[in-house]
Amino acid sequence: MATGLNVTGPLISDPSFPSDQSVSSRSINKSLRVAEKERRKLEAEDPFVLALKYFSDVEAGTPVIGNDEFEKNLVQVEKVAYSKGLSPEGISIMLEFSMSLRMGNAPCVRVLKCLIPATVVPQEAVVRAVAWLCVGKIPISAQVLFIKWVLTVFDMIDAKDQLRAIYGFIFNFVTEENLCPFICHLLYLLTRKESVRVFRVRKLLELQSKLGRQPFLLHLLSLYKVFCPELVTLSIQSRMKTGFRNHNAPWKSALIAVQKRSGSQVASSTSLPFMIKEKTTSRKRKHCLEFPTMSGSVNKQAQTEPSVSKRVVPLVQLHSFAQLLKNMHCVELPAQMGSLLGSSLALHYLDCVQDESALLRLNFWLGYALHEEFLFCGDGGSSQNLEEAQQFLNKLLFTQDFLQEGFSSSEAFLYKFLRVWDGSLLRSQVLGLLSNIPVIPSIKIGQFLFEPLMQLFFTSSLFFKCGLIECLNNMLSKWLCWNTVYCLEDNLDISPNKSHTSINMTLTDFKDSLMELVHFVGRLASVGLQLEGYNSLLLSFILDFYETVCDMFVKYELPLVLVPPAGVFYPALFATDPVSVDRLAYIMYRYQVNLTEAKSHRKQPKKACRISHHTLCDFNHYMSVMVNCLWNSKMFEPDMGIQLKEELLLKANIPEYWESFNFIHHPAFLSYAVDFHHKCWPGRQDMNLNSIKYSKPWTWYLEYLYSQGYDGLKQFVLVM
Amino acid sequence: MSLLKSFNNFPALNTANILLVENEEQFQQSLANALVEAADAIVNVRLAKSLPVPTKNEESRPRIDLVVFIINLTSELSFESTEASLKYLDCGYFLGKVCFMLTNARNASIPPERLDAVRKLASLLHCPLLFAEDQTPDGVTNAAERLLTILKVAAGHVPMTTALYMSILTQCTVLPDIDQPSFD
Repeated sequence: MATGLNVTGPLISDPSFPSDQSVSSRSINKSLRVAEKERRKLEAEDPFVLALKYFSDVEAGTPVIGNDEFEKNLVQVEKVAYSKGLSPEGISIMLEFSMSLRMGNAPCVRVLKCLIPATVVPQEAVVRAVAWLCVGKIPISAQVLFIKWVLTVFDMIDAKDQLRAIYGFIFNFVTEENLCPFICHLLYLLTRKESVRVFRVRKLLELQSKLGRQPFLLHLLSLYKVFCPELVTLSIQSRMKTGFRNHNAPWKSALIAVQKRSGSQVASSTSLPFMIKEKTTSRKRKHCLEFPTMSGSVNKQAQTEPSVSKRVVPLVQLHSFAQLLKNMHCVELPAQMGSLLGSSLALHYLDCVQDESALLRLNFWLGYALHEEFLFCGDGGSSQNLEEAQQFLNKLLFTQDFLQEGFSSSEAFLYKFLRVWDGSLLRSQVLGLLSNIPVIPSIKIGQFLFEPLMQLFFTSSLFFKCGLIECLNNMLSKWLCWNTVYCLEDNLDISPNKSHTSINMTLTDFKDSLMELVHFVGRLASVGLQLEGYNSLLLSFILDFYETVCDMFVKYELPLVLVPPAGVFYPALFATDPVSVDRLAYIMYRYQVNLTEAKSHRKQPKKACRISHHTLCDFNHYMSVMVNCLWNSKMFEPDMGIQLKEELLLKANIPEYWESFNFIHHPAFLSYAVDFHHKCWPGRQDMNLNSIKYSKPWTWYLEYLYSQGYDGLKQFVLVM
Repeated sequence: MSLLKSFNNFPALNTANILLVENEEQFQQSLANALVEAADAIVNVRLAKSLPVPTKNEESRPRIDLVVFIINLTSELSFESTEASLKYLDCGYFLGKVCFMLTNARNASIPPERLDAVRKLASLLHCPLLFAEDQTPDGVTNAAERLLTILKVAAGHVPMTTALYMSILTQCTVLPDIDQPSFD
């Protein structure tokens, strides 16, 4: 029973483990042998063992109908299979029995359905079954079922080398129309660089012309293209609809049940060497939501294989960064790509590896998980475990932060999810994912992003509005960062996503997208402020956004300057809290710095930057409004933005209305002026704020304001 | 047969009236409770299974500021009933005083055509389309808050804004298929 199992030892001697293992191992071996003998004795009378014996010895041609012995034994096997799962030996015997059709077609399907592995599936058994498949006597429905089973238990197969060796045989089944989707999926999991051949590509293309652009063919071809771009000239759409379907339906629930049970009780047993530690952490009903644990299988041959080129090391066996570095060239990825997200070492590998297939496969897996669990869940989301979903997305966010790029599958998922989102479900996670999406071309950005967001923004609460503005601010700074990094690397090719699904953008395209985003936020901000009664919290988030925008030229070297709309500028200028005015002053100061810099670079062709005339006009206008308001007390001069009739102003009965928004009378600073007045002339009974206007107290007053922490004002006054 | 009119009554001070129309009558009640709980002004919630509203209550019925059609996407009947009810609304309502609220939109079993049909209907009438998670208490509260945001504008409680302006900002649009966005 243990033959298939004792192969998990680390391939590379781990320096962190001392070698005194061998001393103690001998005595352990001895006691193990004794225990084994006793267990054998017990097992001899076990009806399950007898049943297995029956199936391994039963002769070909034995009738099924009316055969009570067969029925009794099969029931016995099924009972064990559904409760504990079958041992590797059991799997071998039952698979062999079923595929050889020793008792005809009838039991074949029934046996296949109860093949629930307790631990691992021996590779030899699968290879033999494939051999039986080649005989071609098995009915097509059973063939399909068998391939589905292989796909379901793929991660539990103890090694893949022999399966890869018969890649060609498996590939032959592609022409079988019913089997084709499943075979393609299996091939997808098995494909290595060396398996991509011209004749295979040709065959797949031929099939495609016959069957149409089927997703399974496209996926396999896209993987081929990743390995050998020179062989596959076909243009493959960057974002495909769906990945491979999951075919685990007949076994899913039983498999989960068995794994759950073994997880809780076998933790101390020696007969289940892997998958235990991780699985004890409750594998709940929604098992897809959790990241699969890495159950990498070991290549027995690898230990003895002399040629280095063939040697592969499963990622699961690497425990330290040093080991990873040593084995970088021969790492074998686990079949369940989702498990990569759970391990930091795997993330390091993903980050630096040039092999695009890893990211491609991870994307497929992720797209699936997201789609199934969040977008279209079977029960409409009623019983969805929120906490699990949160953990899942948090982990995904952590991964994206680590890799500093978003996955294209999560991007595609978001576009769909935003259209059915209620704005509160998993809000912080969804907004987090949203801020990670790569640059979208300007023609698509409105449709994918702005329309759903606009509907959500205007119908949701203030806090959602703030959250969304913050998210868009993060998105903007990430886009700007990517641009600077990739601009440095190679000329203007900003493709944030390293995988082949990335979009190649020119700088002009990038600037267009960025402009769309900034204008969009400008619209949201103007109307949002109006709807929310110029709320200071919302205004603060909006000013955060413009702090990023105003520094685009100097900080991110992007030849683009965009000024805020009037709907943002005036509310900030006339805000009742001094912090907003101070921040606006800082933003205007940064604009000034950026524009001056841009102008000085105009002569250099390399950093050519044409700031539009319009932008400059707007900026100058804002600047003069601000100076006239705060400093010169010329509020309603004829050439200013705000114009009111003289009579109307007189009617309002405000004495010296032109002074109402200078540093002394501005509602945000009035309390400071009063306070300053008290401090400056402590003895005075009647308050006359106008006395601050004389040049000496004015300078003191400004100093006083700066000392309150209003650095933005200070910088603004300096460049004014 | 009576047409529900948007201007047949005078508005009351600091009061907003909302009418929830749902054929299944499942989500209505909990949403109504949440609406009353979350509101800071006086909010009267009226419930109806479908339109037209009975004529006998005409006298006592206040001015309805916002009509919400709740559509359960898992049922075809729900959509059909809404379509039929729409005929009994005065056209004045379609200037920003109607919205649709969809439940069960993330359910795998609903045919995509139904969602498309609802989207089409909403965009034809220039109405906002809200999605709600009616199964969780948080989802219900959030749905109520969003309706209140629209209701406040529709009832004229937000200065400088009108229902028509709001509807221009939030109206639903029909999209071409985004399943296969090609960025080439």
